[in-house]
Order: sequence, then structure tokens, then C-alpha cells
Amino acid sequence: MVSRRQWTDWLVLAAIIIGAIVVILPFLLILVNSFKSPSDYANNGALSWPTTFYTDGIAAFWERVNFPAKLGNSILIAGLVSIFAVMVSVLNAYAIGIGRIKGRTWIIILFLVANTIPQEALLYPLYFMFKQVGLYDNIWSVIITFTVIQSAFGTYLLSSVFSTFPKEVLEAAALDGASRFQILWRVIVPISRPTISVLLVFFFIWTWNEFLIPLTFLVSNDNQTVPVAIATLQGQRLMDVTTTSASALLGLIPTLLFFLIFQRTLTRGITAGAVK
Amino acid sequence: MRSKLIASAALLAAASIVLAGCTSEGSSEDDNTLTLWHFESADSAMGKAWDAAIETFEKETGATVKFEEKSFEQIRSTASQVLNSDAAPDILEYNKGNATAGLLASQGLLMNLDDAYETYGWGDKLATSLQTTARYDENGVMGSGSYYGVPNYGEFTMMYYNQDMFDQYGIEIPTDMDSFEAALAAFKAQGITPLAESAAEYPLGQLFYQLALSKADRQFVNDYELYENPVDWQGPELTYAAETIADWVDKGYISKDSSGLKAEDAGVSFINGTSPMFYSGSWWYGRFQNDITFNWTSGLYPEGDLTPGSSGNIWAIPANAKHADLAEKFIDITMRPEIQAIIGNNGGVPVAADEADITDPKSKELIASFNTVNERDGLSFYPDWPTSTFYDQLNAALQELVNGTTTPKEFLTQLGTQYDEGVADIVG
Amino acid sequence: MATLPAQLRPEGTREVRRHRTDESLLPGARSRGFWLYLIPGLVLFTVIILVPFVWNVYLSFTSYRGIKPPEWIGLDNWVKLLGDEKFWISFQNSIAMIVAMVVVPTLLGLVLAAILFDVVGKKFGGRVASFLRATYYLPQILPIAVAAVVIGWILRADDGALNQVLEAVGLGSLSHNWLGSPDTALLSIMVVMVWVQLGYPVVIFMAALQRVDPELYEAASLDGANWWQRFSSITVAIIRPEIFVVTLTCTIAALKVFGPVYTLTRGGPGTSTIVPSYYSYSEFFQSQQVGYGATIATALTIIVVVLTIGFIQAQNWVERKEREI
Repeated sequence: MVSRRQWTDWLVLAAIIIGAIVVILPFLLILVNSFKSPSDYANNGALSWPTTFYTDGIAAFWERVNFPAKLGNSILIAGLVSIFAVMVSVLNAYAIGIGRIKGRTWIIILFLVANTIPQEALLYPLYFMFKQVGLYDNIWSVIITFTVIQSAFGTYLLSSVFSTFPKEVLEAAALDGASRFQILWRVIVPISRPTISVLLVFFFIWTWNEFLIPLTFLVSNDNQTVPVAIATLQGQRLMDVTTTSASALLGLIPTLLFFLIFQRTLTRGITAGAVK
Repeated sequence: MRSKLIASAALLAAASIVLAGCTSEGSSEDDNTLTLWHFESADSAMGKAWDAAIETFEKETGATVKFEEKSFEQIRSTASQVLNSDAAPDILEYNKGNATAGLLASQGLLMNLDDAYETYGWGDKLATSLQTTARYDENGVMGSGSYYGVPNYGEFTMMYYNQDMFDQYGIEIPTDMDSFEAALAAFKAQGITPLAESAAEYPLGQLFYQLALSKADRQFVNDYELYENPVDWQGPELTYAAETIADWVDKGYISKDSSGLKAEDAGVSFINGTSPMFYSGSWWYGRFQNDITFNWTSGLYPEGDLTPGSSGNIWAIPANAKHADLAEKFIDITMRPEIQAIIGNNGGVPVAADEADITDPKSKELIASFNTVNERDGLSFYPDWPTSTFYDQLNAALQELVNGTTTPKEFLTQLGTQYDEGVADIVG
Repeated sequence: MATLPAQLRPEGTREVRRHRTDESLLPGARSRGFWLYLIPGLVLFTVIILVPFVWNVYLSFTSYRGIKPPEWIGLDNWVKLLGDEKFWISFQNSIAMIVAMVVVPTLLGLVLAAILFDVVGKKFGGRVASFLRATYYLPQILPIAVAAVVIGWILRADDGALNQVLEAVGLGSLSHNWLGSPDTALLSIMVVMVWVQLGYPVVIFMAALQRVDPELYEAASLDGANWWQRFSSITVAIIRPEIFVVTLTCTIAALKVFGPVYTLTRGGPGTSTIVPSYYSYSEFFQSQQVGYGATIATALTIIVVVLTIGFIQAQNWVERKEREI
């Protein structure tokens, strides 16, 4: 459904596109430097075009850290976290936003503490606890931790949105004799799909890029995630810049794919109406 | 859509349970595996040498080596947690110094190696000054006490010179302070910034320290690094160093922009010919051999006998190690002449190599310099070692000095206070 | 929104119901029955967050190096914190972070999202709008360590991209030592943070905009309202929950910011870019002064929580006023 375009619309589009190009420029730099040999980079600088197409660095890195395994770990962890965190958020938000339980403001604030507390503060206590239950150096320690942290944001966002949920729809469903759980699953979740999709995407990407907690709890290389593996290129004094660039590119691709795939559910509502 | 979500969730859950089962078993190895961690890159001198050592080890003992490459950041941040758990390796490369190995040793996380030193005779292979970083007392101060680590390579700082640029402008490679300052002035007169520097990371701090050392004696080093006596931050050595840096920035020998540059930037500006002189460490040697396209040479700083440098990172065995005996055997293999020669021939500085085994001419230069420093007992460690926050504090202060927002006197006062506070924490 | 069936609506007015405190939005369902749904969240939260936080508070009263047991020193850490200049400077810098990560991205993001949704989406098709949204979101996907390397290439003093471009267009006198000079270091980090954060509000707002019934817009434009009037009275009102959420979460993120400072400037030059999180990290992991690090972390948490409480009260107050209208 495309309505008539005026010349002001073209102007606006142009401005937005220029903005988008400025935003993308650094990525072009990464692209250019990912295929350079180290001496090319050292001699000609970061802004020049590669003299030859060089892939040895990234190939060696791929082998050395067993990159596919790291990708697998990252995908698994980020995927599970995003699913679990959304589930927890939906349950919490249902109680808070729709159920309007007593003291809900304080409950939201309580959950948000998960987001406000700096991660460094969690590391020592969680380290001791996970060690006791044998989850140290195990991906589940990371999955559980991030589920809690991300679901704090999810709870907050979803409960804010749920509390403005159109009452008529709820009343109609209640009149139909649906149970509380059925209303949640069959009415509220489908209608909130855009917001839930946003949460899935955010949680996946945020968890993917997390560094400190996986660094601390995933000790063996078998368990490591992509950002931790990329950090091995930053030596004590020297840094392998071009390989870092290339591996960052590799790490970007899954998250980008994930985002693009889920965009389609977001798109479905862009030109259509809303709650009907 | 909903059913797709449920199906994929179920699949992921099933896969993850299987995987978690596999990974949590990762810590149970069979009895003949050595778990080894280090953070040297595979194409560095140490990386190559240690790969060869792994092969030799596996052949001779029949045990397998489970090698895991870690990032320096990971080992630095999580060492105290990892070593205190079951996930500790059998042997790891660790950072030497009071703030790092010393701290762990004083907390009982590293195995006491006195017996191993006796058995394998490592004490005889290592020069005395190199052994300073291998021993730590109950407070974690190096230099005395039991052995907690084994150095495997060395490192020190020196001047790198772009021979082609010197020839181009008819300037002599400096041999003493006078010719050094003359060279600086001559390049500046040509509109070239002579010194490649970085104040955001370690290079300028090391130059600062070298300047102080050029006016100091061994006792100064012992006071500064081993806390034998209080350090006079307004004394002649440090004042000279601070004033010279301020002076050189004024004269344009060091660019004011260096306050925003990292070590990588400084090194790159030497490689691409922007600056003809670079004061930094032997860890650049291998990379320079690969990446530089012009004629270059190196030499010790032209004044004084003392040079920043030390043993390289040390092999340490966690107190919780399951196969300490295998670890000790591995260390011994890395000390053998043939492994040390690999370090020497690839741009690294070995600690126990046979001179005859070193064949690469440029490497011979490097090792000759190191031997000179050792013979005059010149290894003086590094300026950021005294306290665990000194690295950031020194860099931040140098950035201010370079920017001109503090005077040398203020700079020294500030650092002196921070130094004293930090040392008080350690010594109690 | 659909209108109520006629028989439930009193003549010409919207019903003003007295809101019973124990009633949920589901007619006939009491709030108390919903506690069941909170159980998984609360259990996880207690184990992963509450216990460590209490532990952390405890550690702030001790001297602890991470391995040997902590020793109680009472209020010493807290007294030190109150007199710690570095700590207070770090908070000042946080305010700058709030401007860069909350104010600018939220405002800019709102406008951008509205344009992408209304103008681009409607006049040029959903695909174009989606594509542009993805490009603005890209910086959020990039790991900060890599972003730092790239920013370094751009902002580097002698041959960085920015200075080169300035020189090429004749503005060479504006070229600076962006990250190394105390007057521009913080500013540079702020610009980087706007670049990183912008995509987040855009995505959230664009999802929120789908809740707005197009009929409301049509009705309004029939009444003669222009784009701005429609925007401020309809759009902003309906996506208010998301605006609150974005503002609060960006503020929390701004107060906690760590990655960019760690990778770009490590708090320097001097103390011009130090932030509380970085200070606490250096105490935890560099000095291994876990007790003092815990003190900083607790203080930071308390401040952020107080802010959060204020915020959420405000949000509730606004919502309640809306319902009473």
C-alpha cells in the first residue's frame, strides 16, 4: 500500500539514506581491513585498499581456535537465553501488567535491579555458587545468568505494554470462558508478537556480544564463545589487527542473519493496521 | 509460527542437554594428559618453540598434551578464580611480577617449585637477574623466597633505528647521548618527528623509566621494584626523566598526538617509515623481521648500564594441578638447547640457548644485546610493576604531561602519591 | 482501538470506573491469582541476583583480596569512597554519558522511527523501511572491542580518517588529537555512544508504532492536523510505555557503561573519561581489592535503583492520569 509521493518525501528519504551511510562507514573499514595482510596494514595504513586479497590470517585463526565450535557455542547460548528469557518475561509481565498484582511497582523495580547491578559485582558470588553446584566451566551457568539479566528488561518492557492492552479484547475472551492461561497463550501473546519478536532479537544479540561473564565462567576452550575467542588475538603487548577485523566480521554474520530473519515478523505490521 | 518456535526450542533444549553433558565432562581427563595454557600467538618465536616442545614431550613421555590458547586478558582477569577451582590446568604461562605471580604465590595458588629446581638444575641454567622474577616471598614480593615459576624466554627494551632514513639525511646512528640528541634535532629540523611514541599504552612509560635509569644505580631499582627503601619521587633520576620528556615534547621530538595513540599505532608508524626511531621492546623483533621493508638496526639505549627488561612470562604450576610431574617434565623440555634455539632463531630472546645454535644474523644481534645487558646486571624490570594499578596511573599521568596539562613537578608528585599508596597495600 | 459495544457504554461518555486495587485487567479475575506466574522469575532472580547482591553489600564492609577469607573492617571502605575524588569525577562523566546515550538517541530515535514508519514505510514500501532500520541497528550488533579498533582508525590523530577528511575539505585546523586530549576525549566517546545506541530506540519505537491504529491518523488529518500535531498528540501518547522503557534502560546503561571506556581510553587522559563501572572493575580485577570494588559497585547500584524508583513512580503517575481522563 503505497500512497502518493511528494517531493518532500524524496528529500526525507535522501536525508535518512545519508544518515545510514554515515552509520555504515565504520563497517566498510572493517570489511576493507579484513582481507589485508599484516605487513600491508602496517605499511599502508588502515584506510587504504588491500594490495592483495589476503585470507591466510583468518584461515589460520579459524583453525587455531576451532571457530565453528565457538560459533556453535555462541548460537546455542544466545538462542537458549533469548527463548528462556522471553518465556520468563511473558510470565512475569502477565502477572504484573494484566494481573495487576499488589505491589507490582516494587516487583518491577526489584527485577530491574538485575539490570542495574554492575556485572563485576556478580562475578565473585556467582563463581562460588556455581563452583559448589558443579556448574563452573559449564555453559548452563552462563545461560541461567543471562536469562535472569535479560528477562529483567523483558519484564519491564512487556509489563508496560501489557498494562495498556485493550480491555475489550480481554473482556471478550473472558466472556468466551477462557482460562487465565488460555488467554495468555491464545490472545495476548499473538497480539504482542511484534514486541516479543523485538525481545527475541535483542536478547540474542545482547547475549551474543557479552564478554565479561562468559570470560569468567567458561574456562575451557571447548565452552568458549565467539567474543572470548576473538580476544585471544589481543596479545599482552601486540595485537593482530587484521585478523581481529576478519574474525569480527565472521562473528557479525550470525547476528546479522538472525536480525534479518526476525525482521520479517516485525515488518508484517509496518504498513498494516494494528489491533483489530 | 508458534509451532515452529516450539519445535526449535525443543530441538535446542535437547541439543543443549547433550552438549552440556559433554562439556561438563571436559574436566575429567585420563591419567596421562597434560593440560597446558599459554597466550603466545602461533607464529611468534615462543609459539613455535613450544609447539616443538609439545611434540617432543608427547614422543618422550607417551602422554598427550591438551593445549588451550587463552587470551592474555582472560588469564589476567580470571587467574585467581580459575586456579582456585577444579578447572585449573596443569601448567600455564603467567605474567611475572609482584602484582601478578607474586599475588597468586602469596595466596597459595601456585605450587612451590624448590624441589623441581633441585631435581632438574634449572637454577644453573638461568642467570641470577633472571631468577628474580621466579621467586616470591610470603608477601608476594619477588627476588627472594621460594621458587614459584620458571622463566623460559627474556625480554628487554632497546632503540630501533630506520637505517635507510638515517642514511637518507646523512645522520649517524647514535652511540652516546650526545649523538642521540643530535640525531633527534637533525630529524626534527627536516620536519620529521623522530620518536614514534604512545602515551595511551606502555611505550612512553618505558621510555620514561629508561631515562630515569640512565641516571640511576642498582639500588634505585631495588628500591623502586623491591621496596627496599622509599623512592624519592622528587629525586634527581625521576626529575630528569620527567623534565626530559616534557622538553622533548616541547621540541617536537615526541609528538603531542602520542597521548591518543596506542602501542600498535606507534609500532606501525615505525614500520611505515613515519618515524625513524622507536624505543620499545624485543617483542616487536619478530614482527619487524616480517613486516619491515627497509633496512633497520637496533641498539641499546645510549646511556647508562640499566635497561628495562626481565625474564619473559613464567611457567607456573597451579597448586591444584593434577599432573605436576608431567608439568615439570614439560618445563624441562622447554629449557633444552634445541627448543631454546627455536626461540632464538625466530626473533625471541632465549634464556638458556647455546650461542652456536643461533644461526639467523638479525637474531644474533638481538641476543648479543640481551647478553650484554645481562653481563652488566642491567635488567631493571618495568615501571608499572610496583603496584597493580600503576599501569593505568602511569599512562594517565603521562598523557597529561604530554598534553601539557601538568608540569613535571606536579606529574611526579601525583605519581609519587599513587606509588606510595599502592606499595603500602602490598607491604602492609 | 475498537469501540465498546454500545450497551456497555453510558450515553456519550467514557465510563469512569473506580479501580479496585485487587482487580486485574481480566474481568472477574482477581489479582491474587496471578502470583503463580511470577514464581519462575522470582526464584531465578533470588538465586542469581539477590543473593550475589547481598553478598556484595557484605563484601563492601570487608577487606578481601579474592582468595583468603574476607576480614571485617566496618565502614572503612565507605568512608574512603565518600572522600574519593576519582569516584565523584567518574559520576560527573556519567552525566555526560546520559546525554550521549539517553537524551540524544531517544529524541533522535523517536524522530527517525516515526519518519521510517510513517513516511518511508508508507510512501516507499515496507522493505525499504526495514532495510534502513537494519542499517541503523548495525552498530548495536558490533562487539565493542572491534568497534574500538575501528573508532581508533577513524579518530587517530595523524592519519585517522576524520582528520584526513577534515584536511581534504580544507578544515584542517579543526583536526584534533581526539582521544588523547582531555577536552575532546569525553566528547569523542559520547559521539561513539550515540552511534552505537541509536539503533536501539529506533527498533523499539518502530515495533511500538504498529500499535497505533491508522484510523486515528486519518481522522486527525481529516480534522486538519499536520504531521507534527499528529505526531505529538497521537503517536507519542500511544507509545508512551516504550518511551519510558527506552529512557530508563538507556539511563541505566549510561550509568553502567564500561566497554567503550575500557577499550578506547581506559579512563584517561588523566581522569577525563573514567566512569564508575571502570573504576569498580579496576578495583576488582586489577588491584584485586574486592572489598573496595564491591563498595563502588554497591554505591552505583543504589544510585541507579533510586533513579529507577523515581522513574517508575513517574511512569505510573502518568499512566494513572491517562486512565482517569
